[in-house]
Amino acid sequence: MNERSVSVRNGEFQVDVLEGGSGDPLLFLHGVSGLEWTPFLQKLSANHTVIAPRTPGFGESTGTESLHDIHDLVYFYLDLLDELGLDKLPLVGHSLGGMFAAELAAIQPNRFTSVALASPFGLWDDANPIGDLFAISLGELAAAMYADASSPEAVAIATAPQARMTEVDPDTEEGQATIYYLVERAKSMSTAAKYLWPIPNRGLSKRLHRVTQPSIVIWGESDGIIPPVYAEQFGAKMSSSSVNKIPNAAHMVIEEQPDQVVDIIEALITG
Amino acid sequence: MKLEMFHLCPYRDLPADFREKNRSVWVDPPTSLFDAEIANRTYNETLDELKYGAEMGYDGICVNEHHQNAYGLMPSPNLMASVMARESKDVAIIVMGNSIALYDPPIRVAEEFAMLDCISGGRLVAGFPVGSAMDTAFGYGSNPSQLREKYAEAEELILRAWEEDEVFSFDGKYTQLRYVNIWPRPMQNPRPPIWVPGAGSIETWNTCVDKGHLYAYLSYSGYKRGKTVMDGFWKVANAAGIDNPYHAGFLQLVCIADSEQELQDKYAAHTEYFFNKMLHIYPGFADPPGYRTIDTIKAGLMSQTTSFGRAGTNEQTFDELREAGNVVAGTPKQVTEQLEHVIKDLRIGHLMLLNQFGSIPHELAKENIRRTAQEVVPNLRHIWSEYEDHWWPQNAVVREATTT
Repeated sequence: MNERSVSVRNGEFQVDVLEGGSGDPLLFLHGVSGLEWTPFLQKLSANHTVIAPRTPGFGESTGTESLHDIHDLVYFYLDLLDELGLDKLPLVGHSLGGMFAAELAAIQPNRFTSVALASPFGLWDDANPIGDLFAISLGELAAAMYADASSPEAVAIATAPQARMTEVDPDTEEGQATIYYLVERAKSMSTAAKYLWPIPNRGLSKRLHRVTQPSIVIWGESDGIIPPVYAEQFGAKMSSSSVNKIPNAAHMVIEEQPDQVVDIIEALITG
Repeated sequence: MKLEMFHLCPYRDLPADFREKNRSVWVDPPTSLFDAEIANRTYNETLDELKYGAEMGYDGICVNEHHQNAYGLMPSPNLMASVMARESKDVAIIVMGNSIALYDPPIRVAEEFAMLDCISGGRLVAGFPVGSAMDTAFGYGSNPSQLREKYAEAEELILRAWEEDEVFSFDGKYTQLRYVNIWPRPMQNPRPPIWVPGAGSIETWNTCVDKGHLYAYLSYSGYKRGKTVMDGFWKVANAAGIDNPYHAGFLQLVCIADSEQELQDKYAAHTEYFFNKMLHIYPGFADPPGYRTIDTIKAGLMSQTTSFGRAGTNEQTFDELREAGNVVAGTPKQVTEQLEHVIKDLRIGHLMLLNQFGSIPHELAKENIRRTAQEVVPNLRHIWSEYEDHWWPQNAVVREATTT
């Protein structure tokens, strides 16, 4: 896997792009918890060159201040894809990145040969409200994100520095580590908030019918952030879509059941 | 030195088991606990207490804005200030304030404050809070990471609406107006003084220093913990060559009695009600992403609301709250001495006192107001007489310093 920084609009954005594997390119858009080269991406890269940009505001990707709303974000991504010379390729998006993927597929349906959305945000149903990931406790967040609350990933969330409730001494090493964590969290979550606060609905339901290419919706059966009933709602609006619900998985379904999820995506791409 | 009476207009009748049965007094307290009969009494007693504070000799009366909050029943402090503009004759009417980032268009605030200034005859202080996370992000659905940017734009628009001599256009990111031309305009020329209630963020200190607004640290954590925040403000201010104490204000809970036993009998339960029930706030509402700026996090500073979230962990007793400085309680002489220390230690020219807080009933509130206004306030007014108060409304009273 290689990581490089790509300039968009003459440096207005500097975007980290992770790239790995071999074969035709595939675009992956990460979710609210950020981007790392996980076992899921490793597996996906067996048959594809996976290209995974880090959304401005997450990690070292800059330029989030130029993005005011979903409209700005979509045009930023179109510029990035132009910069990378990407066209006619499969698109995979998870969580917040699933929402972005749906928007991109709707505005330029011909650019993407297939679309896979895993636990995407973007719709709102009053009868099935999406969890308030900005206000729930870290323990509740861990349980909503992972079906197995005892998994190391879930425990890491539940036991992350609780320092948002404590004063931090910047002059100590421990204080600096906590501040680093808090700054990263503030940057990434306030970026997510641009597209999700206070209700994660930016009108996607009016555009989703334009996603006409072969597509699938993937959902963890235990998703505690976005209730799995949303899977059918996405599926119903995207004309050639199938819905896949994965047992023993929650919002982080792609990391929890990477083998199953990659198999489903491969089947979509190979048709 | 100016001393003003602050009122939160709290709902005094939460059930005894509120804390055990509910997660928060703010944002989502159960609708079923609200009783309009109680609210009717609360509003009218609050107005009576504010009027009484003015009559008993305070320099100003303060009201503030909260949303979906049982300890602060004034989503529109302007309605209360409007009554007081008529009911009082000479004191400053201090609206602390209107959360200018929440109004669309924010010109509404420019208009209502101008009305209040005209009704009161030029006695208005215009408060511009950024607003707590509970009020803004959760109560009003405002994206916390965009709040400060919206605030800055709203402030620019309101000041221009007050100060410019001609109709103008405003092309902002959040507000676009083809014709800005408010009727009425403020009576004070060019505008009322601006006080910014802050909670310890670096950006608010910088704004107040750069723009010359008064910085008021409004917390319930008292003068001992307030010292850190006020020292932070003064460090920034001193670096800019500012040392006038009237540039800064502070809030303090006060209760007066003649003996230790009387204090315990009259105020202990009401104080504990305030801190243990009314500040029982769900921590998840306290620190939404982007509410604290990156610079504030890097400095290791909490927002006021973050400390609210933390305060919810243990119940505190009256004695502990006195010891920690959350409440200043004693005889008039003891309270005068303590407040003189607070004023000088924090270097503040405006001290806002809460005489009614928690479940303090009307008659006891009036007693506390009268005794503080008559037996404490006059003995503190002489402080800082060598400085000029540039943050006082042009037509509000300036009372003589006297000693009783």
